[in-house]
Amino acid sequence: MRGYVTKRLLIAVVTLVGMSMVIFVLMRLAPGNIVDILFESAGYVDQADKKQLERELGVDRPLVVQYARWMGEVARGDLGKSYRYDMPAWKIIKPRLPVTLELAFLALLFSILLGVPFGVLSAARQDRPLDYVLRVLSLAGLSMPAFWLGMIIILVFVRSLGWMPSITYVSPFVDLKANLWQFAVPALAVGYRSSALIMRITRSAMLEVLREDYIRTAWAKGQRGTLVVWRHALKNASLPVITVVGIEFAFLIGGLVVTETVFNLPGVARYLVDAIQLRDYPVVQNLTMFIAIVVVLANLAVDLLYAWADPRIKYGKA
Amino acid sequence: MRAIALALLLAASLVVGLTLPAPAQAPKYGGVLTIHPLTAPPSLSPHEESTIATVQQVSACYSNLVYFDPPKRQESLETVIPELAEKWSWQDNYRNLVFLLRRDVKWHDGKPFTSRDVKHTFDMVRGAADADAKLRINPRKLWYENVEAIEAPDPHTVVFRLKRPQPSLLLLLASGYSPIYPAHVPLADLKTTCVGTGPYKLKEYRPGEFVEYVKNPDYFVKGRPYLDGVKWIYIKDRSTQIAALQAGQLEVAGSGWNKANAETAKKGKPELIVTENDSNVNDNVLVNFKRAPLNDARVRRAINLALDRKAYLVGPRLGAATFGGAMQPRPTGVWGLPPAEVATLPGMGDPVKQKAEARTLLAAAGFGAGNPMKLTVSTRALSIYVDTASWMVDQLRQVGIDAVLEQIETGVWHPKMTRLDFQVALNLTGTAVDDPDAMLFENFRCGSQRNFSGYCSEEIDRLMVEQSQTLDRAKRLRLVNEIDRKLQADGARLILGWGKQYAVHWPRVKAYPQHENSIFNVSRFQDTWLDK
Amino acid sequence: MAQVRAFDVVTAPQILPAERPRGSTLGRFIRKKPLGAAGGFLVLVLVATALLAGVLATHDPVRTSGTVLVAPGADHWLGTDNLGRDLYSRIVHGSRISLLVGLASTLMGTVVGGLIGLLSGYAGGKTDLLSQRVMDIMQALPILVLALVLAAALGPSLTNAIVAISIPIVPRAARIIRASVLAIRELTYVESARALGARHVRVALRHILPNTMGPFIVLATAQLGGSILVEAALSFLGLGIPEPYPSWGRMLSIAAAEYAEKAPWLVIWPGLAISLAVFGTNLLGDALRDTLDPRLRGS
Repeated sequence: MRGYVTKRLLIAVVTLVGMSMVIFVLMRLAPGNIVDILFESAGYVDQADKKQLERELGVDRPLVVQYARWMGEVARGDLGKSYRYDMPAWKIIKPRLPVTLELAFLALLFSILLGVPFGVLSAARQDRPLDYVLRVLSLAGLSMPAFWLGMIIILVFVRSLGWMPSITYVSPFVDLKANLWQFAVPALAVGYRSSALIMRITRSAMLEVLREDYIRTAWAKGQRGTLVVWRHALKNASLPVITVVGIEFAFLIGGLVVTETVFNLPGVARYLVDAIQLRDYPVVQNLTMFIAIVVVLANLAVDLLYAWADPRIKYGKA
Repeated sequence: MRAIALALLLAASLVVGLTLPAPAQAPKYGGVLTIHPLTAPPSLSPHEESTIATVQQVSACYSNLVYFDPPKRQESLETVIPELAEKWSWQDNYRNLVFLLRRDVKWHDGKPFTSRDVKHTFDMVRGAADADAKLRINPRKLWYENVEAIEAPDPHTVVFRLKRPQPSLLLLLASGYSPIYPAHVPLADLKTTCVGTGPYKLKEYRPGEFVEYVKNPDYFVKGRPYLDGVKWIYIKDRSTQIAALQAGQLEVAGSGWNKANAETAKKGKPELIVTENDSNVNDNVLVNFKRAPLNDARVRRAINLALDRKAYLVGPRLGAATFGGAMQPRPTGVWGLPPAEVATLPGMGDPVKQKAEARTLLAAAGFGAGNPMKLTVSTRALSIYVDTASWMVDQLRQVGIDAVLEQIETGVWHPKMTRLDFQVALNLTGTAVDDPDAMLFENFRCGSQRNFSGYCSEEIDRLMVEQSQTLDRAKRLRLVNEIDRKLQADGARLILGWGKQYAVHWPRVKAYPQHENSIFNVSRFQDTWLDK
Repeated sequence: MAQVRAFDVVTAPQILPAERPRGSTLGRFIRKKPLGAAGGFLVLVLVATALLAGVLATHDPVRTSGTVLVAPGADHWLGTDNLGRDLYSRIVHGSRISLLVGLASTLMGTVVGGLIGLLSGYAGGKTDLLSQRVMDIMQALPILVLALVLAAALGPSLTNAIVAISIPIVPRAARIIRASVLAIRELTYVESARALGARHVRVALRHILPNTMGPFIVLATAQLGGSILVEAALSFLGLGIPEPYPSWGRMLSIAAAEYAEKAPWLVIWPGLAISLAVFGTNLLGDALRDTLDPRLRGS
């Protein structure tokens, strides 16, 4: 077990370092650097001024030096400064974090509340009409572009049903009702798509378990549909579901990016898109790195959970 | 006898009473004006930006020496009113401009306003060698190159000494791009905060979200402002902007809207007031003079003829645009070419004939069916540009030019333009002030940084300087028109059309200013009030 | 003497019944997997539309005109956009782009990933370990974020979009192929082939590769839908296919956002096209997966 954990931790660290290099190089591939962007809103470029600015911002140092400086910042937990807005990146990100976290949490909640029961139902009525209907609905959710779903929802809800939440963020601690009114629909938009994935995994995991001999014996003995059987099946199916939830996170973030844009929620994901379009290196680098860290940690947590639960790994070689 | 006199008096007063206009509603105090900007501002420092987004969202906080009178729709020398300067006078045949400043003004942090602040600001902007601050990026240095020196002989007097007469300097100083900065606040701070002398103080700035102002109780105009605050809220999605306005969460919207957006908003809520005005923003096509075959005047003219302006009006502009040369067209623009002359410009006539003429010109230049001209139309990767550029590509294809569209990322656009690394490019130009000094030098002078076409004509340069010094208005107009005529003939920049601006607001918003020949100088809101 | 080969259990289709099956393979497929057949039909429609776009379209998709924002009617079956272009023709031609980008990026991604997985699984040892870590790194980022950053770095163009969308597919492909390879590698007959002196490459090509075809096809079909979605998202955010190619995703970003209120058809139809295309590939992919490897069902 210990060997397994150590190995996984090492892999996580190596992965993160590799990621940082990829992110760093990617941002430098883009034509035009932050100084060009700063001149952009001024409407002209003066070569002498530009060189001066590059020197000031440290953009003219060799790449390796810049990378080393950045790694130092990451180690210190320093999120750097936004060149674009001339303020510490943390100052911009801090008020946006609760928005993204709340949206992600609510979306995950929706996806589990929708996905697990429907997955169980679908498995129980396998290949019957209900199964087909649920599978089609969930697949439809996975097939729609997240932003299109958002647009359609806005068209329907805003235009026809008159749903118009506050255009500026309302904290749940200030006014819970207004806050939920603001988050319900976007969370549903993101959650619907995530629920599709969870539904499919739950369904297949349940099917696997239901096929096992002791379950079939119980059924043959007429104990069909007893609570014991179902609870047992669910318990054993829960592990793959948890695994997926961990991987879900990465999937979720993609959905958050477009949903925050479409529903005008001032979250971190939307800010990432803005920063990418503005070539604000420090912010994009640090945010992407932050996302990578979260995803790797989530996967690590799932791996460890798996290890703890699966006796083969716990007691044997892995 | 007395009865007749009394009756006559009564009748007279009745007549007078009925013909006099009804007294205006008395403005009410209170309320917060929520308004939607063009886009989130790149920073809060107007001297370092060239976008309306910054100017509109900080005008509430700053003051100028002089400003344009909000209720007067056409901006000109006649509508300039005092702000920080109480009086001014030209001396030495328009070579020296003396301002006498107000004595009762305080910065938002309590410090007193003096002539030192004015000298600090404009020495910095004109890039004076002995300036006490230097702008990292300085887009309007060119505006003040005629200033020889700025003197502050006492705390309430400022003198601008010019190299040659320039009556338009006053207009440049009245623009939203020319606020006075505090000498005692570091320049770097002003990108993310605002310390001004204006009617509103900055309350909170959340980048990408909103800019919030609160009433300045010590504003130097007593009894103003009427509003308790102003909040600029940015919403990315157009539908949501419209919905927010209709729901009353925004009082005013329309910055950057087109006709369809305005109509949609009004359709949902008929009580909304839509105002449509000309604006001093035009779509134009940059032609790279230094690249073959565009250095051939016939090719340039062919391209100009191929772009049917009437189709441009219907398609990309949805019926809302006016036509003219390099200066905003009359009657809303002060310096435009005579309308009869505008109708004869290339692209304005019968599209069939003009496209045929274009083909003939291209053939004369050596292009035809067997050897089509290959042309790349560059534009910025933003939807408003891409749409118009797509239309342009289609028009060019109709005269046999093999045109393709190239989208250029924001950060690369200006460097590419400055390097002349393009063939033709679709561009948007907004001028802060409807004045030849603001418009012509920047865009058409030899070697100017924003002269993206690489156009250079000594004669035009000479005429530009001459018109800048001309004091007689009629003579100056003739000179400016002559310059414009030549620019259009040379095809320096192909002007597609001048757009319109929209403001959609609730009837309870009163005294919301909109000017006909600028969008940059109206966002102070010192007289606006809410009837709630 | 019938030889039951070991790998039949892992990758073979369902056990053949004793008597001769009734009807063709296709007929059986349609009856057993109606959803998959429906998906296959949708994919066929997509391919047909792409191939016959010139014939099916009613107008030139790029030609602008004065009839802007016209509602669907006799002249313009799905209405026009803000530049007067016929929406139906743009959607028909857009299928070409979607299919092209989807196929090209899927192919590129699965082939590159597949090769890496093949190499990794077969060679084992340090090569395997190294490539696994690289794949981990590539997979740690959400597809959209990675594609976003790539597209921003490379700029909006057709080739760049294809490259940007194909890269996130590589680790997924590598993982699946590697798993297959690992399962097969240990089998006796491969060892005997080696013992008989067959060279590595020959073994790889003749024995291992054909047996990874099943999972490969499943992966490719599934990723096709994913690629179309990512391209749509990229174009929506302004970083995908540039003009003049009519891309479904970009149709949604420009005109739809501005004119959604006035012309909802601009939002509804391109999105529906994307959804149906992806839906079809997903249904087909699911059914293929069920058919070719029951063990992998639903995962």
